[in-house]
Amino acid sequence: MSSLPWRVINPGDADSAASPAAEGHQLAAVPRPLGSAAMPVQTPAALDGPSPAARLRQILRSQATALLLGACSLGSLVLFWHLATTYRWDFYIRFTNLPTPMEVATQLGMAMDNTRFLQNVGMSLRRIAIGFAVATVLGVGLGLAIGRYKLLRQLMFPAMEALRPIPAIAWVPISIMLWPDNEVSIVFITFIGAFFPILLNTVAGVQAVDAVLLRAGQCLGAREPQLMWHVVLPGAAPQVFTGLAVGMGVAWVSLIAAEMISGQFGVGYFTWEAYSLISYADIVLGMITIGVLGLGCSWLIRAASSWCLPWLAYSKPESQT
Amino acid sequence: MNAVMKLNPDTSAASFSSASAPAARGHIVLQNLSMTFGQGASRVDAVQAIDLHVAPGEFVSIIGPSGCGKSTLLNVVAGFATPSAGHVQLDGKPIIGPGPERGVVFQQYSLFPWMSVRKNVEFGLKMQGVGANKRETTARTLLGLAGLLAFENHYPDQLSGGMKQRVGIVRALATSPQVLLMDEPFGSLDAQTRVVMQQILTNMWQKFRLSVMFITHDIEEAIFLSDRVYVMTARPGRIKAEIVIRLPRPRTAEMMSSVEFTQILHRLRNLIREESLAAMGHELDAGGLEGFATEIGPAGVQHSV
Repeated sequence: MSSLPWRVINPGDADSAASPAAEGHQLAAVPRPLGSAAMPVQTPAALDGPSPAARLRQILRSQATALLLGACSLGSLVLFWHLATTYRWDFYIRFTNLPTPMEVATQLGMAMDNTRFLQNVGMSLRRIAIGFAVATVLGVGLGLAIGRYKLLRQLMFPAMEALRPIPAIAWVPISIMLWPDNEVSIVFITFIGAFFPILLNTVAGVQAVDAVLLRAGQCLGAREPQLMWHVVLPGAAPQVFTGLAVGMGVAWVSLIAAEMISGQFGVGYFTWEAYSLISYADIVLGMITIGVLGLGCSWLIRAASSWCLPWLAYSKPESQT
Repeated sequence: MNAVMKLNPDTSAASFSSASAPAARGHIVLQNLSMTFGQGASRVDAVQAIDLHVAPGEFVSIIGPSGCGKSTLLNVVAGFATPSAGHVQLDGKPIIGPGPERGVVFQQYSLFPWMSVRKNVEFGLKMQGVGANKRETTARTLLGLAGLLAFENHYPDQLSGGMKQRVGIVRALATSPQVLLMDEPFGSLDAQTRVVMQQILTNMWQKFRLSVMFITHDIEEAIFLSDRVYVMTARPGRIKAEIVIRLPRPRTAEMMSSVEFTQILHRLRNLIREESLAAMGHELDAGGLEGFATEIGPAGVQHSV
C-alpha cells in the first residue's frame, strides 16, 4: 500500500470490520449478497435526531414560550374588555351597555346551574353531529366517485357548481318549507354548510393522487374497489381532512344562523333570545360558548387527522415546529 | 441486523423461487410491435416494428437516447398501454392489463407513503387475499434477506432514495412474479448510490433468477447487469442492435475495468452516440456541437466582439 502514490483513508478498512460502530459508515467495498450493512444508510437512531430527553426539553421550552405568549394575547383582550366596559368608554363605538367580564362569569355560573343552558348546548352539538356526519359520508363518498370517474364528474359537477355558491343561510326559508319539522331543517342547513367544502376538497384530493401510486397498486393486483379503498382514499386523505376542517367551520356558521332565524333551542337561539330579552350578559355568554364549541370541534378534527395520518409527520418535517 | 445476517440467504431464496423455477416461466415476446400517440398533425410514432424477447430467467436491458420509447415498451409489457399494432405475450398469453405476475419497479418513488415499509411489501399479497399472518411472515423474510428488516415499521418518507428503491424491488418480488419490469429504477439516485444499487440488484437477481426487462439510458449499468442488451434508435424507436454480454456471473465491480467490459462499452457508446445525435439533430445546427464557433477566452464576449 505504501508504495502507491496516494493515501487510503478508511477508518473501517481492516481492523474495525467486525466492530459494530463501523456499520452504516462503511462503504460497500465488497458488497455482500442482498447487502445490508454494506449500504451507507440512515440507521433508525440517526433518523430520530437528538436524545429523547433533549428533545423533550426542547419541546417544553418552545411550548412554554407559546403558552406564555398565548396567555398574554388572551389576557390583553380580556383586559381591554374589562377596561372598556368598567369605565363605559364611548367614542363612536359605545361600550356603555356591554357587560363586564365579571358579569359574564357570574352569568356563566348561574347558567351552569339551570338545565336550560346546557340543554341548548346539547341541542346545538347534536345538530352539528348529525349534519356533519351526513355531510362527511355523502361528501367523501361522492367526492371519491366524482374525482375518480370522469363521466360522473362531467355529469354531476355542473349541478354541484351551480348549488355551491349559495350560502347555507340562504337555504333557510326553502329548508323550512322543504322539511316536515323545524329540527330537520336546521340539521339540513348545517349539512349544506359542511357538505360542499368536504366534497370539493375530496374531489381535489382524489385528482391529486400520484398516478404512479395507482399504477403500482394495479400491477400489484389491486382491482378497482381495492384500489379505491387502499390507494385512492388514503392518498386523498390529507385533503379530505382539510375539507373536514373547513366544513366544520362553515357548519357552525350555518347552524348558528339557522338557530337564530328559525330555531327553538340551541346556542344560536339562546344568544338571539338574550338580545330580545335585553339580557346583555347572556349575549356575550352565548358568543363565548359558540366560540369555545367551534374551537373544540375543530380541535377534534385535527386530533382525528393526526391520529389517522401519522405518516404526514414525516412527509412534511417543517410542519412539526 | 446481526440476526438477519445469520439467515442463510441462499437456501431461503431458493425456497422462494422453487415454486416458479421448474416450469421456467417468464418468457416475454414482443412481435412487430408499434405504438402511436395522438392523431392527425399531432400524431407521434413512439416505437415502430419492435421484435424482442426475454427468455425465462434472462436479464435483458433496453437502452437508447431519451425519448426513444423505451419506457413505452415497458408500459406495454406492464399492461398500462395497449399497442397500436403487433403482439405482446407472456408465456404465450397476450398481455391485456396490469397483473401481479409482472412486478414493476418505477423510476419515481412509488411506495405508498401512508403504509409502513412492511405494509408496502405486504400489499400485493393482501390483494391476493393472503392471510395477515402469512403476509407478515413473507414480508419479514423478504425484508430480512434484503437487509431492510430494521426499517419494517418506518414510513417511506423516513428512508433514503436508495432504500426506497430497494423496498420497491422487494415489494415487486413479494407476489412471486415471473418477470420483473424495471423502468430506470436508479435514475433518480446519485451516482455513488447507483453503483451500490446495481451491485445489490445483480446479487438479488442471482438469487431469484427471474426474467428481467430493464430500461436504462446508462450504458455501463446495462452491461454490468445484463445477459443481453437491446439498443434502440431515436424516435420512432426501433431496435438498432442486440448485443450479448458474455461476462461471467456473478458480476463484480472489478469487472467494470476488464478488457471485455471496456470493449462492449465502446461499441455500445458509439451506437448510442449516433442515435443521441440523431435524436438531437434538429437542436444542433452548425457549430452546435462545438459549443461556440470561435475562440472567445475567459475575458468574455464583451472584449472579444
